[in-house]
Amino acid sequence: MIENKDEFRILSPSINSLLNDDIDQQTLSPLSCLREFESNWLLEFDLPLVNKKDIKITFDENLVSVEAKLKESYSEEKLGIQTKFEYFKKTLSLPGKINSKKASAKFTKGRLTITIPKQVTGHKIKIE
Amino acid sequence: MQTSKKLPKEKILLVGFPSNGLVGTFTISYLVHYLEMKAIGEIEHPDLPPTLFVEDGEILPPIRIYKKNNLYVVMSDLPFDPFVAYDFAESILDYCKKNQIKKIIIISGMETVNRDPKSPKIFGLVTHQSLEKLLYDYGIPKFLAGSIFGTDAAMITAFRKSKIPALILYAECHPFFPDPEASIIAITTLARVLEIKVDTTDIQKKIEWLRIQHRNLMEETIRSLQQQQQEKKPGKAPQIYR
Repeated sequence: MIENKDEFRILSPSINSLLNDDIDQQTLSPLSCLREFESNWLLEFDLPLVNKKDIKITFDENLVSVEAKLKESYSEEKLGIQTKFEYFKKTLSLPGKINSKKASAKFTKGRLTITIPKQVTGHKIKIE
Repeated sequence: MQTSKKLPKEKILLVGFPSNGLVGTFTISYLVHYLEMKAIGEIEHPDLPPTLFVEDGEILPPIRIYKKNNLYVVMSDLPFDPFVAYDFAESILDYCKKNQIKKIIIISGMETVNRDPKSPKIFGLVTHQSLEKLLYDYGIPKFLAGSIFGTDAAMITAFRKSKIPALILYAECHPFFPDPEASIIAITTLARVLEIKVDTTDIQKKIEWLRIQHRNLMEETIRSLQQQQQEKKPGKAPQIYR
């Protein structure tokens, strides 16, 4: 999106988005957060400008990857460079063993929520 | 523009800085833009990272002061660390005293346990009894229980000890993602309190774009908030954020 001089906007203090994002692959790195609960992980991705049908979620052991195509391309000009982005992409490594087969996902208002049950391992011990 | 010409009769200062969901930043920026407020000054601090913005060839400082009639705004585009937060709050208080400001309104975001993303709510907290009636008159539910840390807490601490009352509006929001949608309820509530009309169509059209554009500011704000939380509760592990 090319910004118009008269449009409402906020100045962003950082110039490093171009370092996190992949200019060659036209890929943006989405914001995400991970919360731990007793029996599962809750992983959220902020995916504005995305339709549900264009999201792909994949698991590889404890790695979770999310890829999504933007419904409109997003342009950003930083340090005089006009860059166009078409995708969101991010891979996260979860800190523990997960049961990816029982994972579920929801997409509401451009926010993807993935619930991933933890893999229960170990054994009980008797209290003496 | 549908703005009422009747801006407040008494001097009021609005304050916005990056916090949960960037609600304060979105709300105050939008009002400055919508009311066509004029930049009249800036706040400097030696501990802030040396940062300037250039917009259309104009050099802009990160903490700016705007004014239109009796309405003043202090807006920061930089999140603060715990030490700068106290100095920032004291600077604002000092500015209010020098300019005979009668009350200040701080806009911020908060995460609540039973948040319904479909209908975000807004809560009010006041530092002085004199503003309690304002909450009642404008139907703003009172923020009854919870903990506050960071720049919000520094501001409240500074003003509750002063003669200048502060109203803090907390819009429910996503704590880790930019939430311009939550700022819309803050804008409309603020407009009611100031008794002005503000059309939010412009920000509504840009919600998705704003969320993409402000990923970096959100990340930097989270880092500052976690730093502030750790200062308050040593030993407590920060929430996982990647």
